Amino acid sequence: MEFGDASLLPENDAAWRLDYYQHDAQMDYYGTRLATCSSDRSVKIFDVRNGGQILIADLRGHEGPVWQVAWAHPMYGNILASCSYDRKVIIWKEENGTWEKTHEHTGHDSSVNSVCWAPHDYGLILACGSSDGAISLLTYTGEGQWEVKKINNAHTIGCNAVSWAPAVVPGSLIDQPSGQKPNYIKKFASGGCDNLIKLWKEEEDGQWKEEQKLEAHSDWVRDVAWAPSIGLPTSTIASCSQDGRVFIWTCDDTSGNTWSPKLLHKFNDVVWHVSWSITANILAVSGGDNKVTLWKESVDGQWVCISDVNKGQGSVSASVTEGQQNEQ
Amino acid sequence: MKLKEVDRTAMQAWSPAQNHPIYLATGTSAQQLDATFSTSASLEIFEFDLSDPSLDMKSCATFSSSHRYHKLIWGPHKMDSKGNVSGVLIAGGENGNIILYDPSKIIAGDKEVVIAQNDKHTGPVRALDVNIFQTNLVASGANESEIYIWDLNNFATPMTPGAKTQPPEDISCVAWNRQVQHILASASPSGRATVWDLRKNEPIIKVSDHSNRMHCSGLAWHPDVATQMVLASEDDRLPVVQMWDLRFASSPLRVLENHARGILAIAWSMADPELLLSCGKDAKILCSNPNTGEVLYELPTNTQWCFDIQWCPRNPAVLSAASFDGRISVYSIMGGSADGLRQKQVDKLSSSFGNLDPFGTGQPLPPLQIPQQTAQHNIVLPLKKPPKWTRRPVGASFSFGGKLVTFENGRVQAQQGAEPHHHVFVSQVVTEEEFLRRSDQLQQVVRSQGFVSYCQKKIEASQTEFEKNVWSFLKVNFEDDSRGKYLELLGYRKEDLGKKIAVALSKVDGPNACIKEGKQESEFLPSAGGTFNISISGDIDGLITQALLTGNFESAVDLCLHDNRMADAIILAIAGGQELLAQTQKKYFAKSQSKITRLITAVVMKNWKEIVESCDLKNWREALAAVLTYAKPDEFSTLCDLLGTRLENEGDSLLQTQACLCYICAGNVEKLVACWTKAQDGSNPLSLQDLIEKVVILRKAVQLTQAMDTNTVGVLLAEKMSQYANLLAAQGSIAAALAFLPENTNQPNIVQLRDRLCKAQGQPIPGQESSKTPYDRQQLPKGRPGPVAGHTQMPRVPAQQYYPHGENPPPPGFIMHGNVNPNAATAQLPTSPGHMHTQVPPYPQPQRPQNGWNDPPALNRVPKKKKMPENFMPPVPITSPIMNPLGDPQSQMLPQQPSVPAPLSSQASFPQPHLAGGQTFHGVQQPLGQPGMPPSFSKPNIEGAPGAPIGNTIQHVQSLPTEKITKKPIPDEHLILKTTFEDLIQRCLSSATDPQTKRKLDDASKRLEFLYDKLREQTLSPTIISGLHNIARSIESRNYSEGLTIHTHIVSTSNFSETSAFMPVLKVVLTQANKLGV
Repeated sequence: MEFGDASLLPENDAAWRLDYYQHDAQMDYYGTRLATCSSDRSVKIFDVRNGGQILIADLRGHEGPVWQVAWAHPMYGNILASCSYDRKVIIWKEENGTWEKTHEHTGHDSSVNSVCWAPHDYGLILACGSSDGAISLLTYTGEGQWEVKKINNAHTIGCNAVSWAPAVVPGSLIDQPSGQKPNYIKKFASGGCDNLIKLWKEEEDGQWKEEQKLEAHSDWVRDVAWAPSIGLPTSTIASCSQDGRVFIWTCDDTSGNTWSPKLLHKFNDVVWHVSWSITANILAVSGGDNKVTLWKESVDGQWVCISDVNKGQGSVSASVTEGQQNEQ
Repeated sequence: MKLKEVDRTAMQAWSPAQNHPIYLATGTSAQQLDATFSTSASLEIFEFDLSDPSLDMKSCATFSSSHRYHKLIWGPHKMDSKGNVSGVLIAGGENGNIILYDPSKIIAGDKEVVIAQNDKHTGPVRALDVNIFQTNLVASGANESEIYIWDLNNFATPMTPGAKTQPPEDISCVAWNRQVQHILASASPSGRATVWDLRKNEPIIKVSDHSNRMHCSGLAWHPDVATQMVLASEDDRLPVVQMWDLRFASSPLRVLENHARGILAIAWSMADPELLLSCGKDAKILCSNPNTGEVLYELPTNTQWCFDIQWCPRNPAVLSAASFDGRISVYSIMGGSADGLRQKQVDKLSSSFGNLDPFGTGQPLPPLQIPQQTAQHNIVLPLKKPPKWTRRPVGASFSFGGKLVTFENGRVQAQQGAEPHHHVFVSQVVTEEEFLRRSDQLQQVVRSQGFVSYCQKKIEASQTEFEKNVWSFLKVNFEDDSRGKYLELLGYRKEDLGKKIAVALSKVDGPNACIKEGKQESEFLPSAGGTFNISISGDIDGLITQALLTGNFESAVDLCLHDNRMADAIILAIAGGQELLAQTQKKYFAKSQSKITRLITAVVMKNWKEIVESCDLKNWREALAAVLTYAKPDEFSTLCDLLGTRLENEGDSLLQTQACLCYICAGNVEKLVACWTKAQDGSNPLSLQDLIEKVVILRKAVQLTQAMDTNTVGVLLAEKMSQYANLLAAQGSIAAALAFLPENTNQPNIVQLRDRLCKAQGQPIPGQESSKTPYDRQQLPKGRPGPVAGHTQMPRVPAQQYYPHGENPPPPGFIMHGNVNPNAATAQLPTSPGHMHTQVPPYPQPQRPQNGWNDPPALNRVPKKKKMPENFMPPVPITSPIMNPLGDPQSQMLPQQPSVPAPLSSQASFPQPHLAGGQTFHGVQQPLGQPGMPPSFSKPNIEGAPGAPIGNTIQHVQSLPTEKITKKPIPDEHLILKTTFEDLIQRCLSSATDPQTKRKLDDASKRLEFLYDKLREQTLSPTIISGLHNIARSIESRNYSEGLTIHTHIVSTSNFSETSAFMPVLKVVLTQANKLGV
């Protein structure tokens, strides 16, 4: 094997049982606060510094299971977005130590399945994907106002995931004349129940237009994740599906807009979630068999499973240790 | 929300779950006639394509059939996982016939699509079901209580599940159990359901509510619970769905009374056991939870009844319903708006007609007003409860610091009643053990300053010659006489060369030397002792003589040159003065054509640029050697750089990598990074580690050797360092990442990363709590100005006072300036190189205003240097022959000659404190120089040829006049104030526990500098002075409240501007002391 096997070291007490079905758990930018959301309609925020787990806030406002939470970049303050089966998106903000609802978006006709903040360079923009097939984009325009743009029928019978492309200025990767506002091209990817991944691009007139359709999955696309930029002229997207497949899509930016898929693995069950490491070299794949696996691209371009985190029914720390043993 | 529509009066069957794409097969219904009363029949296959936004379904194939159908199912028999074979369509006909079709052949348009056919049944075959465990087993039901089990592999002879039930009745439904493969249920319009055990080949239980009104139109097993099933009744008097559990078969477990009229069909979702579809004669399609009876969803339909309803096996949110108005509709139960679809249809319509003037009337169409109520109607709410398939059971997301946050929900085991478990946990992902190990090593080296041994280890471990070279070069930076060592590395050992020269001289001159010498002696003897003849003849000699006699050196030299008497010419030129000498040299070089002339030219003319710029790149080593030997410190780096750049730009790939060596000599970190990166794949963590090891070591070296220009962090270096720090952070080594991050840069990526790392460490504000960074502990002692009495603790100022919020936080422990005792100049002289190392901060310090508002004025220290290239005296250029005319007044005027006394070479490596602000000793030595002291020649201990590097052996013994740059001492009688106050702060500091107090005290200590300054200047009024002494006394007696009273008195009686700089802090100190009780 090319790589040393990954090892997962349990953090002290950084595991806990909860009473309700958990739908998402996301760390903030610094990795010091954890937001979780669950079927009891709540969003909870924990302070997890130094291995602790202090409940800071229990946010109530949704009327259905809360599917996802997303932290905004801290340069805008402590802001969290959540989306729910209740068709609402709520944006929460911490003011003077207390968390409060700052905005409620009710523009969807069905469950809102995914929320994702745009790269902070663009300002505060939130993309929301819904089972009504639409994707809405909320842009903060100041003074508590949010402007809404909606892409109707983005994915027939439902959009399951949205993920922004990293902020990269076309043409120049490093050098940008200072003082000049970079000419970003805003893009994001979405995946849906039409088995498609779609790439959306903001036109010069501010309208969002479908730029690409990526077809490879034979069932619902459950998640898409655009890899963080590491300064290479290649864009990478990971997608996973009900069909058990995980694809890595790459596009060499210099060669225009051709995306080619590479099958990372075909699992025996639904793959629900994919997540890139910050350095974009490891992909965490969460499968319906309750397994989390870590994958890394080898020198010859093959994706290799470097760790298999198989949780048992016992205590969590033990189960993580077990993950260490179950290496492929 | 309606997705698709097909205008057919037909039975329907979805392709099996394995199949992709999704097809919907329709077979003309036998029970219902469409509006045309057509008796023709067909089997059609449509593709369910969601990427097509229109309501139409694409027809893939139509097969004209001679049969009409009562039931149609699509089994996955013989399908492989890839779906290459698309299963088998099983149709129940009107006359006891069951027909097997091959759907792939239908799609392909084949004529022969029937696999097999059997008409063993009596009457219409209304019931069909495929066993999900053995997909070759199909159950069928028809009239006369007939139930057959068919094996698709052996279709000719069906089996029976047991003896026929009596009295004979029609079989309206059959269904295989979803958990136990040998259990089958059947039901009939009479209201009875029978459960068969195929192993026993008999009915095991009969289910009936004995109401006689239960008219079974539908039967379905619970997807998960083996003993539960539902029965639906078509009777308008009892329009119910009954939920039965066979363990309590006396009465239904639950009755769902949601329909107003008889139920025509039901379908239980395989994807979510809480979703049961039912359609009835009340024209409703409902989705209920059979486990609670709650209606979760009502599909928006027209007023027509549906007689068949099916979940799509592959897409769990999709269902199809066949209605009596001759239409099959495909719906999503996820709600949503159909406006988009409709709008698309309108668009499609308009485009067909032409957008503006569809009918050529000359008038554009008015914009279409969709009636308000329609719009409202189009919004369909989703299911009341989220379907099971929308709930993620597990998910793991990366977060900063290589942490993986995982949530996990255990499978709910309904029948076992097992407690579902929900976990969230955080794990640290570590994938690069080797990388971390090496990074840790590097950190330890930086901490312990063991650079030489580190480099040595690296040299020994080097796999390639080049790598070895690089490390050797890096190592030299930390050794004495670095230039000499560089030369050795380039293959020029002075000792070796000396030997070689000796050998060469003995060979050439050996035998003849005596004779020559003898000759010379005999020639010179008379001239030395006796008289000699001054010839003034007309030949050249005579002319020269005449010229000399008239003091016309210029002409004499010209004559010599003309006569090719080079030695004479040069000797004369020396006597003729500097200008003449230079001219003569030039003329000489113009005439001389030997191979090494250019080198000699360069050496003499000090034109190293010429060598570096024009040498053959194959000779880069020689060029570098020359630069190492001769170049002055101010041009040394530039020349090395220049050579490196040439190698990089003009050389082949081999030479390009050698440029790295030049950059190492030049101490040019940025260029080293650029050059290295060009050659290596930097994305791999280990190769990045390779680079960073060198960069960190080189930066250390540069800090040690060059006080200037180490503070800038170039774009590329910043990029690499932040990449490196990011990698470390991604492996969970946040502290290490912080340690390696360059501190003094405004590169935004670094500033951002630093902020992120600090906060990730749990530090609220970066910079403020920077004492937690690993290097700070190292640095605190470094900040002390050496063994000076009364300075046991360095005063500290909260970092944010230097840098307003948002700016680049200062590096931890940046307190190199400040509080320098006037006597420190001598005290600071380190006594050993080891000690000296600790004086150097791990990373260069930012250039900042040296006199901050709370900085003490005057003397600032710059990090000490090990070797001081500024002081490096280049070899004296050979502007004169070896025999320097001692005492010749003109030679004293030669520039460039250091007019300082010869140093002791043993002192060579000692650093020197020197002026801040980039002023070097070069600048000041001239006025200090002692006229008459011998120039370079007076350094007798220099080995090698004249002109060899001697610079780093120079030690300035004279110290500069210190009055101008140091503070006056505090008058002895007031020194007690300083020691008392400082001692008090120390005591407070040692007993204070919270960082805030410590910061306050540090700040106070700093600010008291103002008081000491005033004491030095003796500008304080006697009242204040005596008041301060009173305070000091009260401190000594530990009576702080008394001290505070005196303090108040002083403040109230004195001039505010006189005391405002230090009195408030003194109060802080007293208050703290009182509080802490020290």
